[in-house]
Amino acid sequence: MKLNPTAVRRSKRFQVLEDRPVNKDGFVHEWPEQGFIAMSSPDDPLPSVKIQDGRIIELDGKLRKDFDMLDQFIADYTIDIKSTVQMMNMESLDIARKLVDINVSRAEVLAVVKGLTPAKVVEVLNQLNVVEMMMALQKMRARKKPSNQCHVTNVRDNPVLMAADAAEAALRGFDEQETTVGIVRYAPFNALALLVGSQTVRGGILTQDALEEATELRLAMLGLTTYAETISIYGTESVFKDGDDTPWSKSFLASAYASRGSKMRFTSGTGSEVQMAGSEGKSMLYLEVRCIMMAKGAGVQGLQNGSISCIGIPAAVPSGIRAILAENLATTMFDLEVASGNDQTFSHSDLRRSAKMLCQMLPGTDFVFSGYSAVPNSDNMFAGSNMDSSDLDDYLIIQRDMMVDGGLRPVEESQVIEMRYQAAKTMQVLFEELAFPAITEEEIDAATYANSSEDMPKRNVMEDLKAAESVLKEGITGLDVALALANRGYHQVAERIFNMLKQRVAGDYLHTSAIIDENNIVQSAVNNENDYTGPGTGYRMSDERWEEIKNIRQAISPSEY
Amino acid sequence: MSYSYSIEMQMEDQSRASKGKDPKEVVIAVSPAFGKALSKTIINVEHSKVLREIISGIEEQGGVTRVIRNFETADLAFIGHLAAKLSGSGIGIGIQSRGTTIIHQRGLDPLSNLELFPQSPLITLETYRNIGRNAALYARGENVDPVPVVNDQMARPRYQAIAAILHLKEAQQIVGGKPAVNVDYSFTISEEETV
Repeated sequence: MKLNPTAVRRSKRFQVLEDRPVNKDGFVHEWPEQGFIAMSSPDDPLPSVKIQDGRIIELDGKLRKDFDMLDQFIADYTIDIKSTVQMMNMESLDIARKLVDINVSRAEVLAVVKGLTPAKVVEVLNQLNVVEMMMALQKMRARKKPSNQCHVTNVRDNPVLMAADAAEAALRGFDEQETTVGIVRYAPFNALALLVGSQTVRGGILTQDALEEATELRLAMLGLTTYAETISIYGTESVFKDGDDTPWSKSFLASAYASRGSKMRFTSGTGSEVQMAGSEGKSMLYLEVRCIMMAKGAGVQGLQNGSISCIGIPAAVPSGIRAILAENLATTMFDLEVASGNDQTFSHSDLRRSAKMLCQMLPGTDFVFSGYSAVPNSDNMFAGSNMDSSDLDDYLIIQRDMMVDGGLRPVEESQVIEMRYQAAKTMQVLFEELAFPAITEEEIDAATYANSSEDMPKRNVMEDLKAAESVLKEGITGLDVALALANRGYHQVAERIFNMLKQRVAGDYLHTSAIIDENNIVQSAVNNENDYTGPGTGYRMSDERWEEIKNIRQAISPSEY
Repeated sequence: MSYSYSIEMQMEDQSRASKGKDPKEVVIAVSPAFGKALSKTIINVEHSKVLREIISGIEEQGGVTRVIRNFETADLAFIGHLAAKLSGSGIGIGIQSRGTTIIHQRGLDPLSNLELFPQSPLITLETYRNIGRNAALYARGENVDPVPVVNDQMARPRYQAIAAILHLKEAQQIVGGKPAVNVDYSFTISEEETV
């Protein structure tokens, strides 16, 4: 007799388990033929390299005549011809051990990795468990001091709220801020809101506006943004070509930013090739290592990776979250800045999303999040981050529990209110000076105390869009913004914006892993190089910083009893 | 006692699709696997019901529907763009097997659009009907209120991997170089009493 499955008596425990948030996540078995495999596919090539007449004629089992454009680019621009034969002769396990060994310096590992092929890098990464990867990441991160980046967006693209949120995010410690749009034509306003909001609190915060590439570049050239990172690259030729791009066209775009003194990094991540049905049966990590090596060959200073918007795919397969950590680590192994993801929702489970986040937070990366949502996820126009503004206290307490510097600081409510007000007020003044649609006192008040865009009065969108379009049409620059604010006596923020423009001429913040501190000093892998060689070395929190992290507002003093 | 109904859809690929002349025409271009290798969207809604709702939405506004099948790509932007290019009115709808839908217009860049519904798990039958209605209104040259797009940041954790699997199955049905064909469609509705 065949049992009717719905009539089977259910275990009460299984019913409880089924209702847990983690069981709303999607999980799938591996499907290697279509690239549904995290770190090692049967179709991944085996490592090999052959040199003839000063160039690579065989790469990972493929002859030069069979190279696709990524193979060619990596063979010609990334791999160090002089050392490759020697380095490829090393056992992968030995290289993996060097990554973890505190007695082997970062520089020594970099020298080895320079000579490796993509397949070899993947073989090395497959030797490591997650704790070893975190140890390696702690050593291989380029900048000594870890940092953090946030998302500041809202569903209505409200510029007053956005400036206030940018100010709060600056106060909370984010060194880089990223926005994007709901309505594309709002883009110049969003760039303005982040620039004004962030600089209201402190000079040196870098801001960007993630958009279609030509507009993104235009805003950077105008000096309304100070860096860019949404320059996407992919691990197979077919997916690359789908976007009408090549490694050469992306390199050209990168040099356009460099020519104007603007920081930029590429973006890639595991799962994107699967999502676009172009994985060619290779593992997600192998394809991502090709992206990392392409970024290196293009000469950019850094990469945003950690699966990013395709995280639902690696997160659904075995060892997928480990693969994401491996791709972050691989980025640092090529001496690139890593903005290490954690910027997209991937789980309904608080346990699971915290466990994943700790992989980057505990060792520290150049930017632990490439977008911690400084606003509620309901206002996050990047489709939601792994942690949002409602998780801020949890994050601060994890920093305190673990004595780990995750880049954020506890803040007083009164300070936040003050800075949000200042930012909104500054936007009002700027809009008046530029003859943009007025910002009312009611809006300033709402933005000062708001949690989300639902707390804001509605603006006249058509009028805003007309003004926003005029920014591009008339070519309003960062200098125009600084002058307008100076005219109205807002000297401090005007000077900070002007200083950000001066940074472009100096160009120091084009160095790897650059952030700019409150004294307008660039901190990069050049003057703040990671020198970790075990306990007592590398980044150690200063006493002041530890005091700051310790003093959360929720803690009570024993003397109160 | 209540009634449930099921719709059977018959789709038959015909001759090569050419450019339409009827200014009321809205072309719906379906993806390579739609109603063939795959029969349900990502949330298990039958393709027959989806197509019927879109067509009903178009016809309610006096539009004329033509359905074509694209073989060359699984990329929604290009499926929708093809529909618009071949449509008598210049308005087309593109739909993938997993349910993701776009309203496109001739003359726009392929990666641009009139309306895009990117999160397939959130598209209801009512939304499909409204998509059809709006497409017909665009075809009449009217000012159109876009169909509200629903956003759920937790759709990715639940559906992204499944979406990828459906897309891969879709991509396996691509026939490179094969031009789009007209599709004859008909529906049979049967009603059943349920106790």
